[in-house]
Parts: sequence; structure tokens; C-alpha cells
Amino acid sequence: MAVQELLARFHDIAGKPGKQKEAYLKAGKKVVLCAPVYTPEEIVHAMGAVPMGAWGADTELQLSKKFFPAFICSVMQSILELGMRGTYDGASAIIIPSLCDSLKCLGENWKYAVPSIPFIPMVYPQNRASEAGRTFVKAGYRRVIDTLEKLLGTTYDDAALKKSIEIYNEHNAVMREVAALLAEHPEIGAAARSDIFKSAMFMLKEEHTALVKELIKELKNSPAGEPKVKVLISGIIADSPSLNSIFDDLGLQIVADDVAAQSRQYRTDAPDAETALESLAMKFCMMGNCSVLFDKDKKRADLIVETAKKTGARGVIILLTKFCDPEEFDYVIIKKCCDEAGIPTTLVEVDRQMVNYEQARTIIETFKEVIT
Amino acid sequence: MAEEVKPNRPPVDPNSARYKLDAIIKKHYQEVWEAKERGEKIGWCASNFPQEIFQTLGIKVCYPENQAAAIAARGGGQRLCEIAEGEGYSNDICAYARISLAYSKIKDAPEQNMPMPDFVLCCSNICNCMIKWYENLAKTLNIPMIFIDIPFNPDYTVSDAQVEYVKAQFYDAIRQLEEITGKKWDEEKFKEVMAISNRTSRAWLEATSYCRYKPSPLNGFDLLNHMAVAVCARGTVEAAEAFETLVEEYKKAVAEGTSTYRGEQKHRIMFEGIACWPHLRTTFTALKNRGINMVATIYADAFGFIYDDFDGLIRAYCTVPNAMNLELSRDKRINIAKRNGAEGILVHVNRSCKLWSGFMNEMSRQIGEACEIPVTSFDGDQADPRNFSAAQYETRVQALAEIMEANKGGM
Repeated sequence: MAVQELLARFHDIAGKPGKQKEAYLKAGKKVVLCAPVYTPEEIVHAMGAVPMGAWGADTELQLSKKFFPAFICSVMQSILELGMRGTYDGASAIIIPSLCDSLKCLGENWKYAVPSIPFIPMVYPQNRASEAGRTFVKAGYRRVIDTLEKLLGTTYDDAALKKSIEIYNEHNAVMREVAALLAEHPEIGAAARSDIFKSAMFMLKEEHTALVKELIKELKNSPAGEPKVKVLISGIIADSPSLNSIFDDLGLQIVADDVAAQSRQYRTDAPDAETALESLAMKFCMMGNCSVLFDKDKKRADLIVETAKKTGARGVIILLTKFCDPEEFDYVIIKKCCDEAGIPTTLVEVDRQMVNYEQARTIIETFKEVIT
Repeated sequence: MAEEVKPNRPPVDPNSARYKLDAIIKKHYQEVWEAKERGEKIGWCASNFPQEIFQTLGIKVCYPENQAAAIAARGGGQRLCEIAEGEGYSNDICAYARISLAYSKIKDAPEQNMPMPDFVLCCSNICNCMIKWYENLAKTLNIPMIFIDIPFNPDYTVSDAQVEYVKAQFYDAIRQLEEITGKKWDEEKFKEVMAISNRTSRAWLEATSYCRYKPSPLNGFDLLNHMAVAVCARGTVEAAEAFETLVEEYKKAVAEGTSTYRGEQKHRIMFEGIACWPHLRTTFTALKNRGINMVATIYADAFGFIYDDFDGLIRAYCTVPNAMNLELSRDKRINIAKRNGAEGILVHVNRSCKLWSGFMNEMSRQIGEACEIPVTSFDGDQADPRNFSAAQYETRVQALAEIMEANKGGM
């Protein structure tokens, strides 16, 4: 397939997760929803089900208001809203990790708001560097496995997990490769870039890997387009078509991201270990540079500076999800760190309920003028 | 957790619980200042960090949450919140955190000063927001952060896996503190501190349980002031004795039919959530004007840690209100509401606390149904005065009072 055809395919999948879900169900597969931010998808995959990302959607909130007060982030609100509307019907379960306070509340509310889709909690430790932390991750995974065995009717097998881990590690590698390659291809806009990442949530990873590999092959044979103004984006989500169109209209190229729904998913591979479950636990414990993972040194801020320098980004655009307090705390440190490094930053508040992006456009437009 | 400012107070009897409790708070701050002046390393500490650790080590700490509540109650909340916002902190962030981060910058607030820390002690059993707040303190002040992670428990009981995880961190925290302060762990002292802490907690819980009497011998809002001692001095003999005095006073009041609540107690409610410190007088007066007394709150029980041994201690810290799932949180509240004869529930939808407010709608619905009592809520904030409307509060309390009245056949 040519680049444009491949991009159209990513766009179609990213924009129609319901179609993907129905197709998998029709093919006799079971679907397990995976809420943000780090869900042990490999376990779901190894147990024969399709892990599908559930990060909510840009939609008006109505039903979820019965459960959530207005000051909970719209990612959580819209996940619950979609669950209550029946959008996720057919899924066998939802796994919700408790990595932030709003995620904890999502899990508790889910039990009563969407009783037809069982809630599986995944409790992660925040002190991840110790053996005790790793042991606790494994206990959390065991709990997920036990529940999935009951719900899916399949049995956990460490060898199957090993294979799934290989598939996920390979997917991580191609996602890192494509992200780096996209930095050399300004003609691929922000919207298309978002589709490549977002589509990964709604496909089996081996299928997504195959598509991304094709894209990598085609891109390597394609000439790079006209240069644009390079920026790095940071935040939880960056999938809004209206927001991405601002980047594309203004001629800004996203050369790297620190977005939870994008590159943060693919930074860490599961290493070799005695058992596959141990390997997966080690992967979580090795993760960092993220607002929902304890980091007293705030290495995330250093990574943003380092990445901006490495990729030649002229500035950092922080897409701050409204009411996401982990990100709100980090913002202050990130800004300070970028200021010290002489890297300009700007802040754009985003929300899954946003309809008017004029303010965002003005902020980004002004920022472009500052950095060029 | 902070004192309401009351002008022209009459002298307080030095043998009274109130005098003793006030003295403990004064002494608490004084001791930390003195330790700092002696050159000892002192810390800032999360309110549900296992206090047995630093009590045993003889390390002095103070509590940013208590400080933020005191600053807010004395009118400084907005000023400090705005300083934090000037630093780039969103006004959606917990107001305690904003006040504390602002204080770490300006290092002076006449409403409640405290010495700057040499390290911070964080515990996540209250919320994950605490982790971020303390990360930022540690990073900006360039000091060590000792962190005991006690994850939110989605199950009804605490698993052995969680106990083992927390226990390992407990030992690790001791090791880190020994390194930082040069003080040494003493098992015998630890046993002693555990015994005193249990004694204090038992007395505190017994005192709060007097709310069950009709009429209640205490104005429920008194507990909000006394709670500061349960937070910051649980491991001290003075605190145990002060709460035991409080129990004696309540016992006597029940026998004599007196109460610190002035006026007729027409209605009894459960108050859900942290106090609205900047508007304590307003929130109290609207209740008082209608003869409503607060007789139940999970917040009082939050600092009563009862355990038999070390494992029990760990489990107790894993079962604090914000670390429990909806069902356990609900059942504990139902027990309190029923035991104390609450006739209605007033829920503070606290803008500062996503975790406390995030599943409160469903939980309070279930509690109301189980107890067959009305539930109403109001929007507020524990420390940012801007997130509260007196008119809305007044209307909601009025509605609650009318329903409670109607339930008694009064309308």
C-alpha cells in the first residue's frame, strides 16, 4: 500500500473503534477493555482476548454526571459515559489501573454504572525500584489473571505470555521507529500522526505492527516534504481532530511527543527473565518519566528537555488535560526545566468536551510566532 | 484540624480537655521549632504517614495539611493559593497542596508558621495527589523524600501481598531516616510508642462515640478542632491523657444532660467530607440556626488507629478512609450513621479532593437508602474560599432540615 492508503487505513481504524470491536466479536474473539494509563495488555493478549484501549472520546457528558462531579477529568468521565451508553457492549471486562485518584473513582463507579461489563482492578505499586514493589506488581497481575480465567474461560499459560511479550516488544520497537521516522517527514501531519498511534489501541498488536512496518518501508522510500516548524508535545491525550488540525493549518510538525496515549506507552520493553510474568513485572518497575508514576527526581522534565534538543524541536507545547492533577503538578517543574534550558513552552488546556478551539488556536499561533 | 478564630474567649480551665488539647498543639509546633534551632533534622509529614516511625526515632515533624487547614481557617487560604497559582499551579489542584507549595516558596504565613523541612515524609493512603505534592516539595526544596506507598485497595479486605509490600517500605523508611538524622531505631521504644498510640486512639474513638447519645454531649464541630491532636500527637502520653479527660467530660455531660452544643438539638446529621475551613463559621451557623448537630463523621474515625501487633499496624494504615473501596467505605459509614442515629446526610462535594468526591454520589445514595435518611450535598472546598457559595449552602441545609422535619411528622 502507498503511504496515503496506509494513512487512510490508520485513520479509519482510529476513527471507528466500534467497527473494530464488532469485527473481533464477530470473528469469535473476546474483547477486554484497557483503561489508561498502563494496563497489562500482554496478559489479556496471552489469554486469547483482544485488549482494546478505553481512553474515552470527545463527546458530550450526560449520563456520567450521575456519578462524577464536574471536576473529574473528561477522560474518566467519557469512559464512564460510553460505558453507560452501551458503546462498549460486548466487552468481557474492563481493566482499570489505580494510578491516579480519578482512575480509582472510575473503577468504583464503574461497578454500579456499567454492571454488565465486569470491572477488574489493577493495583500497581508506586515504589517500583524494590523487590517488594516487583512482588506486589506480580500479585496484582495474578489477581487480573484469576479474574480473566473466570470471565474468559481460558487458562493462563506462562509460555503464551512469553509469546505475547515478544509481540508487544516488537510493537514497541516499530512504534519508536515510526515516531523517529515521522520526525524526518514533515509532510505527515499531526492528524495522521495521531491516527497511527491511536489505531494501535483498537487492533491486535501483531496486526498493527504489520501495518506500521509497511508504513516505515514506504516512508523510507519517500522523499521528505517541505520543512515545518518543529515542536514537541506533552500531555495525556492528543487525539482531537480539531486540535491536530490547528497544528497542520499552522505548519507545525510534531517531531516527538511525551503523550501518555502515544509514546509513553512504548518507551519500555519487557526484559528477559526467568518467567514471563516476572518479565512483565520488571517492565512496569522499569517504567518512569510519567506523571502517574512516582518520580521524586522529576526525570520526566529532563527527558522532555533532552528530547526537544535531540529532535531539534523549537518549543514544547503542553496539552494539559483539564482536571488532571498529576499533569498539573508536573507542569510547573517541566516549565521551569525548559526555561532553564532555554526551550520555550506554552500551555494549552484540553478537554474531551471542548467544542471551541479558537483560544487554543490563538495560543498555538502566538507560540509559533515566538519560536520562529 | 485547625482552630476557629473566636474573639474575646473566656479563660479556659487548665484542667479541661480543651486546654490540654490546645496546649498539645502549641507544644507540637514549639518542639519542632526548638529541634530545628538545635540543628536537628526535621520533616514535613503527610497526616496518615505511620507516625510510629518518627515517634520511635525521636524525630520531630510538622504537618502541611494541619498548617494549610489552620491558614485557611484564619483567612489566609486565598492569598496562599494565589501565590501558588502565580508559580503555575492550576487552581484545580488541591488547595492544601497549593497553600503548602506557596508556603515552601514564601516561608512565612502569620496565620500558621512552621519551620522549613530537611526531608519530607509522604504516604499515599490518603491520595495520589499527595505523591505529586510531596514530589514537588522535595524537588523545589532539594531535600530527600521518604515515601511509603499504600495503594487504594479495591477489595473489601487487605491482602497479604499488600501487607508485605507496605511492611518492606516501613523498614526502608526507617533505614532512610536513620541515615538522614543519625538517630537509631529501638524495638523497645517502638513497642512503647505502639502502646501509647493505641491508648490515644482508643480514647479518641471513645470520645467521638459520645455523639451517639441523645442529646449529644458535644457539638460535632468540636471534633474538627480536636482532630489536630489525633493527627499530630497520637504517639504521645499527653494526647492519650487529654482525650481521656475529654471522655470523662462527655461522660459527665451525659449524666448531667449538658452539651457543648448550645440550644436544642432538633436534628442529627452525618457530615461527609473535610470541613470547609475558610467558611467554618458560615457552615456551622446555618446548621446551628436550625437546631442541627453533627453527630457522625468518618473523618473523626480516620485517625483512630487500633491494632494488636505490627501486622495489625500495617493493616490499619491500609484501611484509612480514602484507601478503601466503595463498599467498605459505605458500610463503615452506615454503621456510624446508624449507631449515632443520624437523620440526614450533608455531603461536602470538595473541589480540592477528587478521591473523596469522585465516587461520593453513588456511595452517599447507597448510605441514604440503607439508613432511610435524606442526603443532600453542597459545593465547597477545604481551603480555597472561592469555591463555596453561602447562598447555595443555606438553601441545601434548609432543604435537608425540612425533609428531616417532615420525616418526624413536623410538616
